[in-house]
Amino acid sequence: MKWTGYLSALLPLALVFLFTGSAATAQDKPQAKIQASSIQILMVQSDEVKLPIAFQLALYENLIEQVQKANKFSHVYRDGDMAAAGAADLVVLHSNVYGFKQGSEGKRQVTTVAGATQIKVHCDFTDKAGKSELAQDVTGNVRFIGGNLRATFDFAKKVTQIIVTNFQ
Amino acid sequence: MKMPRAFLTLCAAAVILIGVASFSAPCLAQDANANPMSFADTKQVLGLEGLKHNVIGTLAAENGSLVFTRGKKKVVVPAASITEVMTGKDTERTIGGTVGTLTMFAPYGGGRFLSLFRTKIDTLSLEYSDPSGGVHGVIFALSEGNALGAKKALLNQGAKTSVPPEVEADAQAKPKEKKQ
Repeated sequence: MKWTGYLSALLPLALVFLFTGSAATAQDKPQAKIQASSIQILMVQSDEVKLPIAFQLALYENLIEQVQKANKFSHVYRDGDMAAAGAADLVVLHSNVYGFKQGSEGKRQVTTVAGATQIKVHCDFTDKAGKSELAQDVTGNVRFIGGNLRATFDFAKKVTQIIVTNFQ
Repeated sequence: MKMPRAFLTLCAAAVILIGVASFSAPCLAQDANANPMSFADTKQVLGLEGLKHNVIGTLAAENGSLVFTRGKKKVVVPAASITEVMTGKDTERTIGGTVGTLTMFAPYGGGRFLSLFRTKIDTLSLEYSDPSGGVHGVIFALSEGNALGAKKALLNQGAKTSVPPEVEADAQAKPKEKKQ
C-alpha cells in the first residue's frame, strides 16, 4: 500500500519532467537553415543616430570582406550592383544602426576599462520581395586593443558568424 | 690688418650664400607645387580593391581620377564615379603598429604612458560606384590639415559631395573659436 502511495505521488512529477524535457529538446533543435546561393549587402543606414561616414563605410566594407571570406555564397553583391537583379536565390542584408557610442583609443589604453566604442546594428535578412527571413541585433565593440574603427570589424565578424550558422 | 680682410671675406661669402639661397628658394617652391594635388604618406585605411588595409602610399587627383600609388601598385578611381567626399578629424598613436602593441607589455605602465603621445590626423571618406553600379567605400588617413585640400582637388576633378568644402571648413573652425 505504501509503495502504491509513493508511486501515485511520483507519477505526476515524472509526467511533468517528461513534458518539460521534451519541450526543451524541441526548442534546442536547430532551425532549418535558410537556402540562398547569393547575397546582396546594402549600405548601412543610420536613421536613428548620427553616425560618422567613416564608420558607415567601414561597417559596409568590413561586412562585404568578411562575408566574402566566409565563402558561404557563390556571389556577394554590393549595394546598387545591377547584376543582383538577375541572381536566383538571392538574400538581401539590410543593416540599420540604432546605437552608437564613440570611445577613445587613448582612454582605452591608459585606463583599460574606459573609452570603449560600441555600435548596435539591427540586421534583417530578406528575400528579393522584401519578406524577412532572419532578423537579429548585433553589437560591435572595441574594448582594449585597436582604433575605434575596429568595432566595425567586430560587427562584421559577428554577422558572418550568424550567416555561417543560419544559411546553407 | 689680416683680421679685417678675413672678416670681409666671410661677409662676402655670406652675401653670396644669401643670394644663392634667395634664387634657389623659388625653384624649390616650384618643385613642391609641380604636383600640388599629390599627398604623400597617405594611409589607405580600407576600401581600395587590391590593396591591404592600412597601407601607406601617395594619393593624387589627376587626369580626372583619384590615383593611389603604393610602390608598383596603382589604383585608379574615376573622379566622376565618386558620389560623396567627406573629411573628418581623428588621432592615432605616435608609436603605432606592432611596436606600439608590444609597448603595452612594457613594465611600470610604460606602454600606457607612451599611448598618451598622439598625432592628429585628418580622415577622408569617399563613396564611389563601380561600372556595374556597386557602391564602394574608401577611407584615407592624411596628415593634419590636408583633407580639405584633397577634397577640393577631387571636386575639381569631377567628384561630387553633399557638403561643400567651405561648409566643412567652417564646421571644423567653430570648435576652435569656442575654445578661445
